[in-house]
Amino acid sequence: MVRAMLTAAELQILSTSLGVAGRAVLFSLPVAIAFAWALSRRNFPGKSVLDTIAHLPLVLPPVLVGYMLLLGLGAQSPLGAWLKSSFGVQLVFTAEGASIATAVMAFPLMVRAIRLSFEATDSGIFEAASVLRAGPWDRFWSMTLPLAWPGVLAGAVTAFAAGLGEFGAVITFASNVEGETQTLPLAINAALNSPGRDDQAFRLALISLVAAISGLVLAEMLQRWARRRVDA
Amino acid sequence: MTLALREAVVRRGGFRLAADFEIASEGVTVVFGPSGSGKSTVLSAIAGLNRLERGSVTFNGRVLEDTLRKTRVPTHDRGIGLVFQDARLFPHLTVRGNLAYAEARRPAARNAPITAGIARRLEFEALLDRPVRNLSGGEKGRVALARAIVSAPELLLLDEPFAALDGKRRRDYIVLLRDLSHEHGVPMVVVTHQIDDAAELAAQVISLQGGRVIAHGSAAGVMARPDFLALLDRRDVGVRLPASVLAGRNAEGVWVRADSVLLASEEPRGISARHVWRGRVMSIVREAETDVLVSIATDAGYILSRITPEALADLRLKEGATAWAVVKAHSL
Repeated sequence: MVRAMLTAAELQILSTSLGVAGRAVLFSLPVAIAFAWALSRRNFPGKSVLDTIAHLPLVLPPVLVGYMLLLGLGAQSPLGAWLKSSFGVQLVFTAEGASIATAVMAFPLMVRAIRLSFEATDSGIFEAASVLRAGPWDRFWSMTLPLAWPGVLAGAVTAFAAGLGEFGAVITFASNVEGETQTLPLAINAALNSPGRDDQAFRLALISLVAAISGLVLAEMLQRWARRRVDA
Repeated sequence: MTLALREAVVRRGGFRLAADFEIASEGVTVVFGPSGSGKSTVLSAIAGLNRLERGSVTFNGRVLEDTLRKTRVPTHDRGIGLVFQDARLFPHLTVRGNLAYAEARRPAARNAPITAGIARRLEFEALLDRPVRNLSGGEKGRVALARAIVSAPELLLLDEPFAALDGKRRRDYIVLLRDLSHEHGVPMVVVTHQIDDAAELAAQVISLQGGRVIAHGSAAGVMARPDFLALLDRRDVGVRLPASVLAGRNAEGVWVRADSVLLASEEPRGISARHVWRGRVMSIVREAETDVLVSIATDAGYILSRITPEALADLRLKEGATAWAVVKAHSL
């Protein structure tokens, strides 16, 4: 059905978007969980620094984030050059680069959702686990994560939905390459900027809207389902 | 086999507990005191859930914490179980999952009952595959106890385990705890503020008031001290008799309230009361305007009776006189 409604080019754009957002979530999820866990702990030195770093993408202009990534990971940077020479990995102009830019932008959303559910877990449960001989790591895998599961899921799906719409950081860092980094918002922008492609822009905008709404509805459904499983 | 807190100071919020005691770690020890006296904090300190500000905790010769030597064994390495007052079952697991969690983490060398066995013993076999959110308060308590037993702790701490129970269920639970302690060779430390529970369970007692340990030792010794009686509600004042005076009672002791003891100056005949003890009046203390507390030495031990000044005058009781103490079986 989707195939009948969309043109080959639109399908390509949609699949690039889904791929970029999906990989972005995969990249940032483990790091977001680690940050959220650390931030949900009681005070430790450097906590506010960590908190600031986690929230920075939320307040910086996306273009600036893209530019910083370019400085840090671009071909001219030492890290970028090393990645290229050692692993043959190039981030600029590639889907991987677009994913990384999207991951950085979606990061604060994820940390926030996961941290809230870490903080919502009754700490008495962890005491109960520790008197049954569960050490800190054991408790993390057997209690912290499973109990925060709804929040982790919600964070991931919200980040995915937001990732579908990321523009500034992606275009600055990964540029607009058809079939590689041209996600929905980049394609809409391209269409709007060329004469006579308004219809195309409108169709892409509709696709964007449907994808974003589906993502949010899915997040809500998953969260309800997961919460039913863990609520006492 | 001892459990010792030495010059220990624990702070929890604005509360400060100072404890210094050593008890034999076998059978059941009761931590007794009014609410807010620091009973739960004693358990937290033993389990390592609360860091000591000063002092040490030793169990069977193993130093669990010592602020001078800067050593501290974390809770999960202490091998000490704790049954919380609010059960704290794991909400994302079934009843069976909760027990399996404990079973998976106990050292292979420690023998302990299997899940099915303990579930049958505590009568919740039918609940094994239920999610824990569907359990009643009493059921949650039993599952929490079973979970702790399955983990085969070297010492088991229980915080107000009878809070959700009443009457017969409470008594059954007391018998069950004593049996489990014997069967599995697990010493227990039980927090309670109920004098009957304390008397029935305790081989030893640690009494607390206002964040200080005021006495510790054998139940018979501690529970007869004036500073112990001072912890009690006026209506609860009484004496602990060994359970041996009551045939067939599975308990360490029994608490006989002064209010439930009648006095007679002649041997009573043809009455329904099951327990009549002959003794000598040791002391007569006027408690208040309306009450007199009479202490009698009998074969069963000292017994206290609270009577009115008029009754005292009628009976013409004097120190050294012979008297009979009468107790209804139902009040024991």
